[in-house]
Amino acid sequence: MKKTFLLTGAAVVALGAAVAWVATRPALDAAAPAGIAILDAYKSEVGRYVIPPDSDILAEPNVDQILYGKRLLADTKRLLPDNVGAQMNCNSCHMLDGKIDAANGYINTVNFYPRVMPRAAREVDLEGRINGCFQRSMNGKPLDRDGPEMKAMIAYMEWLRQDVPKDQRVDVVNAGVIDESLIPDPVRGQAVYAAKCAACHGGNGEGTFDQFGDVIFPPLWGDDSFNIGAGMARTYKAAQFVKWAMPPAMHLTGQLGQGGVLTDQEAVDVSEYFTHMPRPDFAPKANDWPNGNKPKDARY
Amino acid sequence: MRFAKYALLACASALAIGWGTAISTQWWLAPKRAAVIDITDPALIARGEYVARAGDCVACHTVPGGAPFAGGLGLQTPMGTIYATNITPDPETGIGSYGYGDFERAVRQGVRPDGAHLYPAMPYASYRVVSDADMQALFAYFMSSVTPVSKENQPTTIPWPASMRWPLAWWNMLFSSPRDFTPPEGADEVITRGAYLVEGLAHCGACHTPRGLAYEEKALSEDAAGLFLSGSVLEGWYAKNLRNEDTGLATWSEAELVTFLKTGRNDRTAAFGSMSDVVEHSLQHLTDADLTAIARYLKSLTPREGREEWRPNEDLTTATLRAGDFTAPGALTYVEHCTACHRLDGMGAPQVYPALKGNSMVFADDPSSLIQITLAGGRMPETPAHPMAFVMPGFAHLTNADLAELMTYIRNSWGNHASPVTEADIARMRHEIANKPIHYAPEAGR
Repeated sequence: MKKTFLLTGAAVVALGAAVAWVATRPALDAAAPAGIAILDAYKSEVGRYVIPPDSDILAEPNVDQILYGKRLLADTKRLLPDNVGAQMNCNSCHMLDGKIDAANGYINTVNFYPRVMPRAAREVDLEGRINGCFQRSMNGKPLDRDGPEMKAMIAYMEWLRQDVPKDQRVDVVNAGVIDESLIPDPVRGQAVYAAKCAACHGGNGEGTFDQFGDVIFPPLWGDDSFNIGAGMARTYKAAQFVKWAMPPAMHLTGQLGQGGVLTDQEAVDVSEYFTHMPRPDFAPKANDWPNGNKPKDARY
Repeated sequence: MRFAKYALLACASALAIGWGTAISTQWWLAPKRAAVIDITDPALIARGEYVARAGDCVACHTVPGGAPFAGGLGLQTPMGTIYATNITPDPETGIGSYGYGDFERAVRQGVRPDGAHLYPAMPYASYRVVSDADMQALFAYFMSSVTPVSKENQPTTIPWPASMRWPLAWWNMLFSSPRDFTPPEGADEVITRGAYLVEGLAHCGACHTPRGLAYEEKALSEDAAGLFLSGSVLEGWYAKNLRNEDTGLATWSEAELVTFLKTGRNDRTAAFGSMSDVVEHSLQHLTDADLTAIARYLKSLTPREGREEWRPNEDLTTATLRAGDFTAPGALTYVEHCTACHRLDGMGAPQVYPALKGNSMVFADDPSSLIQITLAGGRMPETPAHPMAFVMPGFAHLTNADLAELMTYIRNSWGNHASPVTEADIARMRHEIANKPIHYAPEAGR
């Protein structure tokens, strides 16, 4: 009889242990974000930057302004039809609300301006830079520099900066590197376009639109695309974006909008192809690069 | 003490009789079909290749990047991982020494030439109904057209005593008894063909029919209770309900279904997980007539009792999000992480990014697939229909709380309505993903 008791006891203890083990098994959750190095002028790390979730905006005193700015960047054509001539949104090029490395992020933007820019050959501030985008990439009209729309867009970028001081920068790049010594071949580029781009941007670069007529994938040439004054109209500048951000949705891990699918040569070829397709002119182009030093891929 | 002695004796005798019966089944239950097949007949081989496609043999019996049919892919079961075997005609490590009778017995009855029983991870319970003509063509194809590869089989990780094979004879007698294909009552030629493919070669029920305690499919063909193809969870994926009812295929048209089977996507959704493999390896190669037959048969499966038609609610989400109101729980997270592809109207981009609105995977009774694809990402099948196959990245870096709120939002927006997803659901899926087997046996020498 003693044996039976002993066995029963052992069974109860084993069962209890099993239940306890399952109950105390830690609930898995997301790992804490690693953050990105913040560098000072000497490129030494002085802190870590964590891409803030949008929910953090809710704690800001100007929450409405920041969220409005976020919406304007994402739905620019719909919300600012008078200022946007093309079928484009800011986020068409500045993927994921600018929270991204190597694909025109906004993380360091506020700290980058004002600055003397070679194309204008004078100091350009952030308002001036944003309006440059509206006139060139968006083929539209500048915003009121002091209007609520401009202030809201800058408020979003200011929030995204997360108080990183002016003389420091978060270790992300605006555009990844591309080998500019490569000779572009638009014929090969056309084939790359058909294979890797047309599924979204359309066989004739016409873009894709939703039930409301709002742009899903922007047109890459034609009247509704960016004009020849846009950075994206230049072969190597476009190739940087194509190489590092296109095509999106290709990887199981990492952020959306990370390319890395095409070779440098393919990116240069396809960029040569689509940048040189017909697109709107940019009237004030005569004022660009007044001191010379025009880049080799400028369209005029 | 005396009672214990008798009990022990009785147990031992029962075990001995059970064991004896089990190991003898190979002689008295499974007669060999020793037909002689002309394995050089090109027409037969071609037909066999089509049958192999329909049976999707390559998907389980090939590791990513490995030689076709050489085995090694792991299948996760609650007790351990079972690795698919080498079914190339290599005489040493494959099935090269099999006669037609051996082959037929293995494929249709789950018995190896040495008398050992196969694990029912091999869907022989479904292959039971495959016709003799198809089976003979399949044999000709495997023996003549498949390249022999010398590759040893990988043992399972199922621990002893559960790994013993002789009790499988009992499993076999209980759950995979001999049967012939019976056309559904009153079915026309097309639906009959669809039923034959779905029940047999395509073995759709292996994933889509719920399983019982002994891991058996609760129904192998249309049943009165309507359990057949009513949805089941396997490897953390919810293989959706395929019956023509509410959260099943009621919202799908036959044409949408055919497009999905052939290309892995339609305007509404895209295949992911194991279904992506099924489309890529199997379904895209079937004729339009066979795909139509499959679709029409599935649409003929009647709703279970009480499963009224699923109707979407009014879409209030699209206008709210477009107006910039992100105050609903989960809405801001959605706008931050999902709108770039799935858009404010939840419609995605047709044939590129799947819609969330009206997508039955999103509002399925069991949210496992939605949770797993959101955590681990998903890949569309590659087919000639589309130049690009897109990939959804995983969002495991978001917290359980954020993900639970987000998925509850997605399951209840744009007119969708379904049960909420909890933080515990997310945590459970993280455990499931963390404990996935290496999906293939390591190659020799690595």
